[in-house]
Amino acid sequence: MRTTRVDRRSHAPQIAIYRSAFMIQTENLHKHYHMGESVVHALDGVDVSIKPGEFVSLTGASGSGKSTLMHLMGCLDRPTSGILRFDGEILGSLPDKQLAMIRNQRIGFVFQTFNLINRTSALENVLVPLVYTRKNFSRKIARDALERVGLGKRASHKPSEMSGGECQRVAIARAIVNNPKLLLADEPTGNLDTRTGEQIMGIFHDLHAAGMTIILVTHEMEVAAQADRMIQMRDGKVVEDTAINAGRREEMLGSAQHSQQRMLREKAPPAQSPLTGTLAPNPEPRT
Amino acid sequence: MFHLKIAMMAIRGLRQNLLRTMLATLGVVIGVGAVVSAVSILEGAEKEILGKVESLGADRVLIFNGSDKKSHRAVQVSSLLPEDAEKITDENPKLIKSVSPQYNGGGQTKYFQKNVSGSILGTTESYADINDYQIAQGRFITREHIRGSAMVCVLGHKVARDLFGELPAIGKNVKVNGKSFAVIGIMEERGAIGFVEVDNQIIIPVTTAMGRMFGARYVTMLVAQCESAELVPACIDGIKKTLRESHRIRAGEDEDFQVFTQDQFKQQLGQVALIFGVVLYSIAGISIVVGAIGIMNIMLVSVTERTREIGVRIAVGARRWDILKQFLTEASIISCLGGAMGVVCGWAMANFLSKFTQVFKVYTPPMIIVLALVMAAVVGIISGIYPAIRAARLDPVQALRYE
Repeated sequence: MRTTRVDRRSHAPQIAIYRSAFMIQTENLHKHYHMGESVVHALDGVDVSIKPGEFVSLTGASGSGKSTLMHLMGCLDRPTSGILRFDGEILGSLPDKQLAMIRNQRIGFVFQTFNLINRTSALENVLVPLVYTRKNFSRKIARDALERVGLGKRASHKPSEMSGGECQRVAIARAIVNNPKLLLADEPTGNLDTRTGEQIMGIFHDLHAAGMTIILVTHEMEVAAQADRMIQMRDGKVVEDTAINAGRREEMLGSAQHSQQRMLREKAPPAQSPLTGTLAPNPEPRT
Repeated sequence: MFHLKIAMMAIRGLRQNLLRTMLATLGVVIGVGAVVSAVSILEGAEKEILGKVESLGADRVLIFNGSDKKSHRAVQVSSLLPEDAEKITDENPKLIKSVSPQYNGGGQTKYFQKNVSGSILGTTESYADINDYQIAQGRFITREHIRGSAMVCVLGHKVARDLFGELPAIGKNVKVNGKSFAVIGIMEERGAIGFVEVDNQIIIPVTTAMGRMFGARYVTMLVAQCESAELVPACIDGIKKTLRESHRIRAGEDEDFQVFTQDQFKQQLGQVALIFGVVLYSIAGISIVVGAIGIMNIMLVSVTERTREIGVRIAVGARRWDILKQFLTEASIISCLGGAMGVVCGWAMANFLSKFTQVFKVYTPPMIIVLALVMAAVVGIISGIYPAIRAARLDPVQALRYE
């Protein structure tokens, strides 16, 4: 008996940085909302697994359930049914207190609208998660985080004195200040111009290279194409889950350009017919 | 340490909107200020009146004309004779040290061009002893002066100073209500005995006052000094017995005089103070409620305005308790700050009014300062709890989307 017990112990799995082979694992995940009398199936049986160190883009039209999935992964909400594992732990059963701790120490959030606390400095904004860690900390940690996003010199500036790109970098610094394993970004480039958006994506690439798992919610194909894997959603279901190789990336960027051109055409003032004086029909019907 | 950081965060939150914070504070400042100044004035007045009552002495019994029962007669009866004083002393030898009859009148006292109007007291030689009121120069009126209705007077300190200044007054003649009186003495500076400003008073023999000056039959009151304060109840019984006999009041009939002691005055004073207190405290209480509503209003606005901030805080790891604490701390800081400022403002206000009007003195009991601060803290917590709970119960997903 004694020997078997020792054997068992020796066969116990090695505890590494990650407790599980998967960072996020969902099984038949459902989320329903009640809107008045009707029930909205925001998530309708989602099964995805994301490994540590992956860079995943989560795409889909608005209302497809991508934000809901992100909120569930980020422990901001609880699923109606199904299983959601975060680093091996089943989240549905954890008390609020523990979810708060996971959000604080293992997850970083980046939002489309930055969501910085106005009228306090960049440094104070980055310090916020450290306060809720309930341990003594030095301000240097926050300074280092700002340094990592290239804003070391702007630490004392307020969000109102910064450009959109700088604000988003402060937000990223806030997200990474506690060195989380998972970074969740919800349309991080949505409010930025293309060039600034590229700079922000550059920071995500650096963080990914440093070993962080990144899940990027976006509906822009150029942005989605920069990830290593794309999960596309529609009506609360995963409709596509593919690795992005070079060929696929070309294809996505091409379709993005195509849709951009189409949008430009649609926005252009409609040509007037010289003969009738009435509005000419749209050259291309909307799909 | 963690709580300190939450508090720092709350302070930062308040500083973000300084004007609004100040306006919210103002409500509490006014409320607490009203309480503190009201109490200061009330306590000051009570203390002053109590001091006057106590200057009467615990061993005194005051006897006034009239019935203490609700009289069915329209006119107050006067019944006390100067002779009653001697009767009381004679019939209660072991109880009562002495009794002085007092006739209070008023009038002008003139010395050449100088003119002083003040109260005129007709009394006997025992008045000075009963009140422990010493003569400063010359001598007090004597039994002989009384017997002979002598035209002599003793001046109060202020009267003497106003009429004669530094000049000698003893032996000079002054005109009191047109009649010539010889000054035989000047009293020490004393301020007030009971409710009478004795420095502004002229003392003449009671017989002179009643016979030659005012033509009165009855005295205003009798002041009896008991052998000791413990004997006061026995003295009252003795006095009543003597006066009932002297005034020929049959058993069962109402007395035609009233007997007062220091304790009775104190009781009456307490009742008056209570009425004023209830009125003042309710006004102050209302203004504190208004202040509390102000804080709650501001906090609700603040929570709505900072919905996204709350969402972010939850997203980066704040527990619901932390959010609750932060907003509760903000409300408490507003009200405690208001409380502290209110104490200072209330105290300053009461003192300013006292200086300005010169009518009353103020006294701020230290207890009321503690009480006001505790009250402010309670107001903060009560008015902050609902907005804080609302903040803590926000759904983070909704809060982050809030426009």
